[in-house]
Amino acid sequence: MLRIENLTKVYPNGTQALKNVSFEVQEGEFLVVIGLSGSGKSTLLRCINRLIEPTEGRILWDDIDITAAKPRQLRAIRRQIGMVFQQFNLVKRSKVITNVLSGRLGYTNPWLSLFGLWPSGEKQRAHRALERVGISEKADSRADALSGGQQQRVGIARALMQEPRLILADEPVASLDPVLAHSILGYLEMLNQDGATVICSLHFLDLVHRYATRVVGLKDGLKVFEGLPKEIDRQRFKEIYGEEAQEVRAATMEAA
Amino acid sequence: MSGSSRSEVKQPTWLHGLLSLIFPGLGQAWRRDTMRAAGIFLAVATALAIAIWYHWRTGQTFWYVFVALLHAWNVWDAMRVKGAPIFLAALPWLVIAYGIGWQATEVDPMALVENWERSSSILRSLTRPDFLARNTESFEGWVSVEVPCSTEPPLAERMNANGIHIRVSPNCAAPRETLIVVVDGLWPDHPTQLTWHTPIGDTQLLGGDNFNQMLVIQSDTEGHLTALIQVPARALTAAPDPNAPNLHKVYVSQQRELPGITFSENGRYVVQGIYETLAMALLTTVVGAVLALPFAFLAARNLMSGNPITMTIYVIVRSFLNITRSIEALIVAFIFVVIVGLGPFPGVLAMIVHTVAALGKLYSEVIEGIDPGPIEAVRATGASWLQTILYAVVPQIIPTFTALTIYRWDINIRTATIIGFVGGGGIGFFLWQWIIKQDYRAISSAFIAIVILVTIMDFFSARVRERLV
Amino acid sequence: MLKRILRLLLQIILFIGIVMAFAFSVRVTDPDLGKLFSSSAQARQIIDPLLRPDLVTRDSETRFLSLDFPVPCGSAPEGEALGSGPRIEIEPGCAEVGETVLLRGSGLPENTDVVVRWRLSSEGTLSLQRLTTDAEGHFELEVQARAIATTQEGVAPQIEAEYTLPGGTLHLSQAFKDVINEIFVTFLMALLATTIGTIIAAPISFVASQNITRIGCVGSGAYYLSRSFLNIIRSFEVLVVASIFALIVGYGKPFAGIIAMVFVTTASLGKMFSESVEGIDPGSIEALTATGANRFQVIMHGVVPQVIPDFLSYIIYHWDINIRISTIVGFVGGGGIGFYLSERLKSFEYAKASTAIIVIVVIVMALDFLSAEIRKRLT
Repeated sequence: MLRIENLTKVYPNGTQALKNVSFEVQEGEFLVVIGLSGSGKSTLLRCINRLIEPTEGRILWDDIDITAAKPRQLRAIRRQIGMVFQQFNLVKRSKVITNVLSGRLGYTNPWLSLFGLWPSGEKQRAHRALERVGISEKADSRADALSGGQQQRVGIARALMQEPRLILADEPVASLDPVLAHSILGYLEMLNQDGATVICSLHFLDLVHRYATRVVGLKDGLKVFEGLPKEIDRQRFKEIYGEEAQEVRAATMEAA
Repeated sequence: MSGSSRSEVKQPTWLHGLLSLIFPGLGQAWRRDTMRAAGIFLAVATALAIAIWYHWRTGQTFWYVFVALLHAWNVWDAMRVKGAPIFLAALPWLVIAYGIGWQATEVDPMALVENWERSSSILRSLTRPDFLARNTESFEGWVSVEVPCSTEPPLAERMNANGIHIRVSPNCAAPRETLIVVVDGLWPDHPTQLTWHTPIGDTQLLGGDNFNQMLVIQSDTEGHLTALIQVPARALTAAPDPNAPNLHKVYVSQQRELPGITFSENGRYVVQGIYETLAMALLTTVVGAVLALPFAFLAARNLMSGNPITMTIYVIVRSFLNITRSIEALIVAFIFVVIVGLGPFPGVLAMIVHTVAALGKLYSEVIEGIDPGPIEAVRATGASWLQTILYAVVPQIIPTFTALTIYRWDINIRTATIIGFVGGGGIGFFLWQWIIKQDYRAISSAFIAIVILVTIMDFFSARVRERLV
Repeated sequence: MLKRILRLLLQIILFIGIVMAFAFSVRVTDPDLGKLFSSSAQARQIIDPLLRPDLVTRDSETRFLSLDFPVPCGSAPEGEALGSGPRIEIEPGCAEVGETVLLRGSGLPENTDVVVRWRLSSEGTLSLQRLTTDAEGHFELEVQARAIATTQEGVAPQIEAEYTLPGGTLHLSQAFKDVINEIFVTFLMALLATTIGTIIAAPISFVASQNITRIGCVGSGAYYLSRSFLNIIRSFEVLVVASIFALIVGYGKPFAGIIAMVFVTTASLGKMFSESVEGIDPGSIEALTATGANRFQVIMHGVVPQVIPDFLSYIIYHWDINIRISTIVGFVGGGGIGFYLSERLKSFEYAKASTAIIVIVVIVMALDFLSAEIRKRLT
């Protein structure tokens, strides 16, 4: 479904965020990307829907080259790829329902949406999406009146509106406490079981073991691991996260 | 309107509608929705005021319809649970404000188009600023002639120091009589201008049928020239006694261009105006900042709220600063011009007054905002009052004071460029003269000079403030 | 150590530089404080009326007393003086040209101004004198019969005394009414200028925002172009622009002032708007881009909702500034209250000017307060 070939990203300031990364994602997978902060996880996810332009390499989406897509074609691809962010990235001053509806922008007539006029079908769809993540009663609240966990659920509902085939989740639980983390990942798992492919970057090993069907490990922009979650033992972990990080990381993980 | 205040809102009924019918916003206020009530009252009041005013001014009653619509909306709003849609209220208000505003302020975009010829001629000269001119050299001489004739007119012949010899015959004449002018020693083969100067220094032209053009005659290869001129008809009009003989002058002058460029006459005025402007801005900022300091302390609430006497002083100083601040420096300058006369001085006085008022208020706000923590800490070490001020208060306020002063300097430069419009000195003074004379090329050079000056100062003050804060 | 010395040296140089610039400024502007005190006569001439604003007038009734006065004698019947009440008498009741007679008024209000004049047979008038009655309401004046005031076609000239009865009700003066009228114009000028300025500034501000536009070659070009446009018009002095437009659309027309204010409003709102747009949370732009929305939709749904409160608060703030500006654009022919004020000042009607200044102060302070309150609620 998605094939990444020799992906390289060099930022204008010279930082090499990704170095020749290649892997493949199958339909229905829950792929988790792990690695230290700054190892290139966010860059990798953002290259897939070209929020960041890759420097070299190709990304094939059902044999269509995303990296070569024209703007119109790119938008058509993007609307099939939902994205969930660490900082939720909601429009804080807008209502929850408006935020959810904005997930539908790629589908609607730009002129109607300009005036905040949405077909009633879309509104119903938005309410259903909110119901699925369990916060339909907050539809008319302002987004910044919600707690972090609730905001992330709005973020997922927004991604749901796109009827995505693929969901990119960039550290969706890094800003939340461990209990909420399970709840949010539970929703992602639910979507995954409904047929959407998920690519998710995570920090905590226990969450990786619990949710991932396959794991890709990045270190300094290089792919250092690709395999099943159970293959990550202490030795692998040390390779990915480096020598010193090991004890601290492990302790944190056990606490989580 | 937060969710909590919504829940307190009482169920709206016809009673609320009735209250709002009697007085706009009253029903909403009854429902404890004070913000909405205040907004509605303001909207209805302003719309009504504008409509009444326009009725009084022009007799149009048509606009009351929209006030009525707005009022009806207000009643409807009071009776509905969720309130009425706000844009429906905005509509009649906007119709009144913009409809009347458009008419009353005589907005007439067509005037720009109709006067296109005028504006394009202005714009064209604006693109050719009168700032620089080519270097020129002039070669001039004169001779006096008596007008009208006395019994013994002096000889109308003169050898100028630069070698130009002029002889006019006869030696005297009455207006409209013809004179023969013979000139020697000019630059050969060069256009020569002849003009008439009356005893009061008025220059009159000698060329053209109506004596409204410059008389220009080419000198011959020996630098010799002979011309017939007529004594201008208006040569005597300004004299106290038209019958008394007076010495007038006939001027000849030649001009040639030299290599190189220099400031034109107006260009020199622009330069003078710019440095006057800069000087005024610096002077007023420094003096104003110093004078503002005592006011600032007297207008700081946290320092003055101790007892009724200081509180009274606080209120008086505050009101004084507020009132002075709301009169623009230009208006104050006009008053000072009447008192002390034209020139930079009245402008300086007016700008100082305004600077003191504005900085006094800003400084006092800084003093009010200081962190009491350090004061407490320094005082706890056993420091005296003066030490407390020096070590806990001054370090806190100095950077902000400096930033505010530089900001004010920036504003004062802008003010100093225009204070001359009412006679207060600086480049504005020259600019205003040129606007009255409609000398667009000079206006243009002043305008460009102001733009450059303001841009540089803007940039400079922004950088300095960035480093300070 | 060396660094410290250098720094100290730099500070000393800077200080000396400022002192020198200041000394130079004093020389150029030539402030003559003595003049401020020596010109107290001029000061009184303007400050006194300024302290007595023309706000209210008392309803007063003007009365006329007149008496036929034939010149020369016998050319027409003599006027008969009233026996009681306010009256004027002339002794003798007629005169030849050049003769002097005595005019006496009595029964008038005490200490009241009286204007005495000839009312000629040709309906014209000729002022004689302005005088004040004594404590008994009495006055006397010697009047010379002049050739211009003779009986013509059998109609005798009249001597007329005009005086005003004090009392009556207080009501607003004409000046006050004029000022209120101009205040409305000023208010609407500021409103229109702010609106038009906002309409122009809002789209430009998005183009002039790094995070929105500065992508690719075309975007960068548009960004720098709009930025420089805003910077250049920002340095246009409003009064200079107003005076140039007053030349084009007519001196004293509010429209000229509006155009000038549109320039300033566009410039400063454009700058403030774009700073606000640059300060938004980039996350929502990213999120909306990721849903496949086009650039326009991203701006409308991701950026606009975030900046609306800021924009509103800046607009109100600038409306307040425009009211202040419109009190002075009139000085260069921009219309509104400033034009009224400058015309009054130029024609030495300082009491009326004072009325305008007082109303300006009240309005500016009130709107200052109101706009600050509204802005506080917005954020």
